[in-house]
Amino acid sequence: MRRALAACLFLLVLAGAATAHAEVVQYMSRHPIPKRVGHGFCDIDVPHFHDYPPSDPRLYRQVDGQYYFVGDPTPFDYDGPRYSFYGPHPIADASVQLGGPAYCYIRGPHFHWYAPPPQAQFEMRGGAYWYVGAYDPAYYNDQPRYVAINDVYAPMVYARPVIDVQFAPATFHGEIFVGGVWRAGPGGPIYGGPGWRGGPPPGVERREMVMREHREQEFHHEQEHRNWEQRQHEQRERGHGPVAHGGPERGGWHGGPPAERGGWHGGPPHGGPPHGGAPAGNAWHGNGGGGQHPAGHANGFHR
Amino acid sequence: MHRQRDQFGLAGCLLAALFVAAGCHKGATSVPAAGGPGAAPAAPAPAPAQHVDGTAHTDTVENAWRAAGLAPEGFAPLQPVPYGASYCEQGRVQTIDTLVCEFHDQDTLGKGQAALLEQWGREGGHTGVAFHAKLTVVGVVDRARHDPNGKVIHQVIDTFRKL
Repeated sequence: MRRALAACLFLLVLAGAATAHAEVVQYMSRHPIPKRVGHGFCDIDVPHFHDYPPSDPRLYRQVDGQYYFVGDPTPFDYDGPRYSFYGPHPIADASVQLGGPAYCYIRGPHFHWYAPPPQAQFEMRGGAYWYVGAYDPAYYNDQPRYVAINDVYAPMVYARPVIDVQFAPATFHGEIFVGGVWRAGPGGPIYGGPGWRGGPPPGVERREMVMREHREQEFHHEQEHRNWEQRQHEQRERGHGPVAHGGPERGGWHGGPPAERGGWHGGPPHGGPPHGGAPAGNAWHGNGGGGQHPAGHANGFHR
Repeated sequence: MHRQRDQFGLAGCLLAALFVAAGCHKGATSVPAAGGPGAAPAAPAPAPAQHVDGTAHTDTVENAWRAAGLAPEGFAPLQPVPYGASYCEQGRVQTIDTLVCEFHDQDTLGKGQAALLEQWGREGGHTGVAFHAKLTVVGVVDRARHDPNGKVIHQVIDTFRKL
């Protein structure tokens, strides 16, 4: 009898499982595909469902039961158009309605698949869109919850956009990563170097620090430019033609423009996107056209 | 005697399990012809298939897919017309089950689109999309993971929305 009862229970469980509804998870747009399911990125940019949940909820917002991916799609094999951003900003994806102010909390340079609409308060400077508007109270309220997205990206090694932070707009309120440390934009405390978790060191004026860093960078730029001109001169002496303007040994290219102030600037030697710093005082403003990084062509230089 | 009782008990349980399965399944199959994307909730009375003016017709949509390099195949009208639509065709694009339906108004479109997604969700497709432009709905359901990254589905929808 006991055996019959066990068999009965087993059959009932089996019958229940067979008739249970399949998992349906709603997604609002594109998103990474969890590794346990497959590989890469789902390209569907309209509301759809899958039979699997997101790999990491920290990369998503949930609106009316639908998941919206808010991260940088680059490390997930996304191969569509990309636009460079620097620091936190309102999510300006015109193709979705998030039901209220929602922000991207990614620190430093990152990509999104959308460009901000012309009416949004962004400035294109140094190869990226910077948010220069005021933050809604929702930004500060949601920050403790959503800033964890940076923990997701911190260990990831991938080609972030190379941004010339010396052209950061004066009205940018976020943090700036300069010379190995996080610093706030104009008017805020310094944030520590890689791995920083604590509060700002007391008594340090940020703007001053950033400006000092700028002066150091300018010195570097001049030095690199002089070296470059020297090399050009030597090659001309040897009868070689002009060469592509490559980057220094470490990091993206930060040199000044060649004599003609135009043309292609070669990429960095380590596979990162090429980086051209526009001449001081000649940063490009506005939204239209700039900032796009077509898949496979990570040319971050914009004029 | 004990053995006979065991056998009766087992038979009773089997019957109970069948009832459970049938009972639970009843909700899921209250829609006829489950299994195809055209399967629909039971309609009170079959309406005659009729194209709707002022929105993309199914043949226009299929031609657009062909022009975009996709391969729609096996599209045929569904009768009775499911989901409260006025006209529906069902077929495959790049082997993925696809449905194109024309609706008479936004209200029936909204209900029909929701019913379509609900049914596919119950059936357990890997990926499902129902996207509309004007009064035409394109539904795509990938049951067998033919398109794990959604590249084909994206192209199907993108071509349709550009009409």
